[in-house]
Amino acid sequence: MLLWIVLFALVTSPLGLLGRRTPRPLIGWGLAVLPLSLFVLLALQIPLIASGGRLDEAVPWVPAMGLELRFSLDGLGMLFALIITGIGTLIVGYAGAYMANDAGLGRFLVYMFLFMGAMLGVVLAGNILTMFVFWELTSITSYLLIGYKHDYPDARRGAQQSLLITGIGGLALLLGLLILAAAAQQVGVSVADSYRFDALIAAGEQIRQTALYAPAVALIFLGCFTKSAQFPFHFWLPGAMQAPTPASAFLHSATMVKAGIYLLARLSPALGETLLWNGTLVAVGGFTFVFGSIVAFRQYDIKALLAYTTLSMLGGLVMMIGLGGKYGAEALVTGILAHALYKSSLFMVAGIIDHEAGTRDLNKLGALRRYMPITMVVTAIALLSQMGIPILMGFVSKEWMLKAALESSLPDPWPLVALIAIVIGAVGYIIAAWRLFRNAFLGEPSPTVQTHHLVDPKWSMLLSPAVPSALSLILPLGLLPAVSSLLSPAASAVYGAPFTFELYLYRGVNTALLISLGAIALGVLFATQQQRLAAHKIIASIDGAVVFDKLIEGLLAFATGMTRMIQSGRLRTYLLYIVLVFMLFVGTPFVAYGLDDIRFVLDENLRFYEVVVTALIPIAVIATIAARSRLGAIIALGVAGAMVALIFVLFSAPDLALTQLLIEVLSTVFLLFVFSVLPSRFASLSPAWVRWRDAFIATVFGVMMAMLVLATSSNTDFPSLAPWFLANSLSEGKGTNVVNVILVDFRGFDTLGEIVVLFVAVLGIYGLLRFRRVKPDVRTSGRDAQTIMPGEDPVLAGNGASPSAEHQVSAGVEPQRLRKSITEKDANDV
Amino acid sequence: MYESVILRTVARVMMPLLLLLAAFMLLRGHNLPGGGFIGGLLASAAIIMQIIAFGPTFARKVIRVGYLNMAAFGVFFGAFWGLPALFFNLPYMDAFWINDPIPGIGKIGTPVLFDVGVFLAVIGVTTRVALLLAEEPELFPMYVQAETEELS
Repeated sequence: MLLWIVLFALVTSPLGLLGRRTPRPLIGWGLAVLPLSLFVLLALQIPLIASGGRLDEAVPWVPAMGLELRFSLDGLGMLFALIITGIGTLIVGYAGAYMANDAGLGRFLVYMFLFMGAMLGVVLAGNILTMFVFWELTSITSYLLIGYKHDYPDARRGAQQSLLITGIGGLALLLGLLILAAAAQQVGVSVADSYRFDALIAAGEQIRQTALYAPAVALIFLGCFTKSAQFPFHFWLPGAMQAPTPASAFLHSATMVKAGIYLLARLSPALGETLLWNGTLVAVGGFTFVFGSIVAFRQYDIKALLAYTTLSMLGGLVMMIGLGGKYGAEALVTGILAHALYKSSLFMVAGIIDHEAGTRDLNKLGALRRYMPITMVVTAIALLSQMGIPILMGFVSKEWMLKAALESSLPDPWPLVALIAIVIGAVGYIIAAWRLFRNAFLGEPSPTVQTHHLVDPKWSMLLSPAVPSALSLILPLGLLPAVSSLLSPAASAVYGAPFTFELYLYRGVNTALLISLGAIALGVLFATQQQRLAAHKIIASIDGAVVFDKLIEGLLAFATGMTRMIQSGRLRTYLLYIVLVFMLFVGTPFVAYGLDDIRFVLDENLRFYEVVVTALIPIAVIATIAARSRLGAIIALGVAGAMVALIFVLFSAPDLALTQLLIEVLSTVFLLFVFSVLPSRFASLSPAWVRWRDAFIATVFGVMMAMLVLATSSNTDFPSLAPWFLANSLSEGKGTNVVNVILVDFRGFDTLGEIVVLFVAVLGIYGLLRFRRVKPDVRTSGRDAQTIMPGEDPVLAGNGASPSAEHQVSAGVEPQRLRKSITEKDANDV
Repeated sequence: MYESVILRTVARVMMPLLLLLAAFMLLRGHNLPGGGFIGGLLASAAIIMQIIAFGPTFARKVIRVGYLNMAAFGVFFGAFWGLPALFFNLPYMDAFWINDPIPGIGKIGTPVLFDVGVFLAVIGVTTRVALLLAEEPELFPMYVQAETEELS
């Protein structure tokens, strides 16, 4: 069933194209049935999960290597899957109303559905490789969503940043997961099982003892921190606010950014309980928590403000994983639920305000209470929940966070660090929430507000933020036992052993409650001063995006330099590099290990003519090099080729001989084509030392190749394939010409690859000859393409920064202008 | 283009023979020396001989084929005959054969058809490269001259 859930979400994504039609709000809600049906399907499994069961299904691919499509559903996966499909339902309906005037809604919804499928894949995967595939898919789909408004440079920049950051993180994660699997294999887990989450968790104790543990954890951290926007990788998240608001509400509050949290939580029973794990998570999470909440209340853009509080909350959740223990797990899952509810609601409200008032700038809003009372109530509830005011879900969540810090079993500074972080964070949230509410809904109407005809939006739009907002209130008031039974299995999965817990609003006065109330009081105190605090200079944010841009710029400059060095445009330089690299990577191990294999046995039955034919080859080669005229060189080369063909004849390989001969003829023709207009004699342009260097390298390379061939043919470690081919050619391949049967049947796939290469080569030649640009002066016009303006799209600028204009392919230029008489230098470069 | 009577006469006579030989090589390849690759090289040699003897414009007129398309079709055709195996849950490119040989052609199976794809791809690629070189105005201005005159 799980496989079908994920597949269904992915396969039905093209239905999003219905969003091209009108009336869009209706279609939006109609399409919301897709995620809703998945939500219901998953919700039906709650009794099973609540009773401690789990679903597990796999489609094997290469079982011996542990490659499979495995999905499993446990408490943690269930919590996330319900959030994804539940919020997803609301978002899809909301998007239809929000983007009712946007012709691109169809495209947008397709991306959304794809993303949803990918995200479900991440949280339902039971195999780390399966998970990784979907993980990367979320990066790609979120790139598409952030860059949805691709006419805007900011959107492109935000999209690219998020893709690069999460992409780099993804690479690190893959490496980390592979190391983790290797560590599991070291401690006796079979290869087939070593990629399964449950097997990894079961072997966690031993894995933590291996030397591979630390590198694996470091790399997994890198992957999760980039995905979940932890400091110092946080800056892509505010940049990602360029996405249309429904996408922000879905990806950057409820789902994608929580993928990193999910993976950390999922792996914490396997990798946790070490200082490396807990300490790093508390430190990084705690810092992000405080940093985000402080930067948040300086923002003027509502979405940016929400983005920073999201960032902060993600830090808080990471910290909960770091605190560990039962309370840590409980606080984590409660926090995930509470945050998903109020933050998605707030983002959608931000969208509504933007939609109605035409701006999200807090300085340009005001007095919306008069025009949009229902919106105000919805916002107020969500904000109260965010502030952690009693009887709301956010309060329960904060209570549990404090309890996790107070009851933590970590060594000393860490629980205190966590406690301080939570208090500062809570204060920051209150200031930020108050700032948002005051500037948007209270005060006097601003000119912007007055010029717009403001009313509460239709229910098709308002319903979506209203539902999670209302749940933030209803759940703690009446449904805490039900919520607890959903969250208990999730917390068990994070903790690593089954247990149950009960959420409650009030159960006597305790330390956590007192701290919580103290933080609220402090927050209210500061909140009245919020305008002054926001203007305070010391609370300046470190703009990571600027650092990132500098890094990317540096990387591009480096790449350009490398390209210029390697791509000289001269065939002989290319050959030189290829040969040198080959000698380094093949020659070095060969000299170190392979020389013993060489055995040279002279055949006693060697015939006189065989010697003559063989001896003619080096003579012809030397003649080619020594030739003064081009024609002479071609003829000498032809002799060498013909002699090789003759050797094939002598050693009864007629197919090879035929091919060799034909190739020889055709290449002579081609050479004549090219050489016919070149000066008949070679000009000598390179200095003597270059020629001696090339001769030396060529000789060493030639000797090495000869040795390699000798070693290969005299190696006896592996049985030769030839007898098998001879024996099976007729029976299996239905042909008596073994060479041909190998070509088209036994090794047919190789041949297919070769003809594809041939085709690509002809396309390359076509491009080289037909779309040439007049060679400009490289020093002047080549430079223009190199300079990358900071604001420019680095990808486009990167393309412009190819080595020099002389290699640029330009298809659209008029052919006549391209033609220019050939120069002596060109001729020698060919 | 070399205005040589001997070359032209030989080329005129040889071309059909060479093309026939190419087809022959292709078909007998499975049991005797030959095959798609050799056949393809032979066929393109025949066409290139026309290019040398009569010039690219004439060679194009004698055989009206788009060689780039031919190469692309060859690759596609070759890849296509690997597909049937997938329908029988076998690995890509597993062979199928018709039991009885067809008189004059021999046994037919997917590998032979794949070889035809190779044959076409090789002809297309080799001839296209030769044509590109022969029609390169920097190398052979006179051919381009002739071509533009013809167009106008």
